[in-house]
Amino acid sequence: MSSEALFALFFNLGFPLLLLLGTYAIGTAIERKHFRDLLQREAKVRQFPLLTFQSLPANWQANSAAMVTGSVVISIDYFKRFVATLRSIFGGRIKTYEPLLDRARREAVLRMTEEALQMGFDAVINVRVETSRLASARRDGKGTAGVEMLAFGTGIKLLRPESS
Amino acid sequence: MSVGKYSIILTNTETVPGRTIVEFYGLATGNTVRAKHIGRDIMAGLKNLVGGELTGYSELLQDSRREATERMVEQAKSMGANAVVNMRFATSSVAQGAAELFAYGTAVRVE
Amino acid sequence: MEFQPRAPREGINVSHEHPLKEASILIVGLTMVIGIAAVVLVFFVDLVVTVIPAEAEARALSSWIPDNLDLLSGEKQERVEQLVDRLASHWPECPYTFRVGVFGADQPNALALPGGLILVTTKLLEDVESENELALVLGHEIGHYRDRDHIKIFGRSFALSLLLAVTLGRSSQGLELGTQVTGLAVNSFSREQESKADQVGLALVQAEYGHVADSWKFFERMAAEENDLTRLTTYLSTHPASGDRSQRIRQIAEENGWPLEGPITPWQSSEE
Repeated sequence: MSSEALFALFFNLGFPLLLLLGTYAIGTAIERKHFRDLLQREAKVRQFPLLTFQSLPANWQANSAAMVTGSVVISIDYFKRFVATLRSIFGGRIKTYEPLLDRARREAVLRMTEEALQMGFDAVINVRVETSRLASARRDGKGTAGVEMLAFGTGIKLLRPESS
Repeated sequence: MSVGKYSIILTNTETVPGRTIVEFYGLATGNTVRAKHIGRDIMAGLKNLVGGELTGYSELLQDSRREATERMVEQAKSMGANAVVNMRFATSSVAQGAAELFAYGTAVRVE
Repeated sequence: MEFQPRAPREGINVSHEHPLKEASILIVGLTMVIGIAAVVLVFFVDLVVTVIPAEAEARALSSWIPDNLDLLSGEKQERVEQLVDRLASHWPECPYTFRVGVFGADQPNALALPGGLILVTTKLLEDVESENELALVLGHEIGHYRDRDHIKIFGRSFALSLLLAVTLGRSSQGLELGTQVTGLAVNSFSREQESKADQVGLALVQAEYGHVADSWKFFERMAAEENDLTRLTTYLSTHPASGDRSQRIRQIAEENGWPLEGPITPWQSSEE
């Protein structure tokens, strides 16, 4: 009876707590690593112009153009989702989701930039970023599988690049 | 004449930088509906606990978007176009666990 | 137009509050909000529920039996019912017509349900060594009816599950947490009620037999089976730990001058 009670206590409180703390530790490690990686790669492509202009700056001349895209699906850990559901009871800024969206957006833009570089472009104009939620396959519709971030724009080759 | 991954020029601007549009033919569209398969779903479910990139889903969506774009390109070519301008993407979930990817733009002829 | 690559300052789009800190604030806040709401709700439910007259409840639910419950009938059930009637006869203004239901279970237990239906488990009927022991268990349940505890608990659990559904309905994890919190609130109240029911039960035993000898023995044996680990979890359990309980029962008897010695009526002999 007593061991059963203890087991039940562990099962009801201990197991979820362990799961929360465990996923928090791993999730945070993954997040830190990703941010470090983003900073490094962003520094490498800093010289590459990304513009949200519909057309070229007046003194630029392009000789070829094509679509470039970059996308990524990222999810956050169980712990941060738990905090987010609690937060949604009280309302307010869901702070634990912010790093997720920041990471996803930067990763998508980076992948687009890297694709443009690889294709030999000098700049990307009319950059757009779109977010969509991936519906989970679970029947109750709960549990976000992740957010998809898509970055796209028109890569151009310049006749006389304005910047080195 | 083609640049990039597709056989015709695609841009999301209203013009093709460095070229002039001489004719335009109308809307070219391409779409595809894809579902995740169970194996990917289980892996993604595990990954969902600790967070991070769901590589399987990333690749699936990239493939699907390419397929939608290729269909749009085929439509444009069938109209005699050599470029699609002002192209847009749209994603929506039509059913639980499935995603519709839609690509569209204006088919044009450039010189 | 000249392109001058510059990097924005890092970390503008994310909040810098530590997630663990946010989690603790949210959990503590939620616990307090639900805890206070639960206490207020329990207070009002108790108030409202006791406004329903016992006579009306007894009449309306005089033949109510919960669904999905297999009740055993037979000689044992009749004997328990007779014992309940004898005990209840010492409560002159009793509005209930008690019915007894026996059902199979591995744990010795007894429950008071609305409308005067007392449920006992087969294990309880096997475990009691004398009629006096069983009489105290049944008297205790009759004590719950005196204080209307049975209907209060029904009202409370209904009101609290409503509260949880309204506040936490969107989050299954939150709902789990909330159930733990309100469970504590309800249980800490019901320990008080259990002690009061013990007092009423003992008075009925005294009135029936003229002494209270051995009636606490059942609880004493239960206490011997429980080990020290159980004491840690006592706070989380509905019933008071049986050890303290048998002591307290003897204390009540001494305070009222009820004899602790007397002839014991056998219970199990009829089969052996």
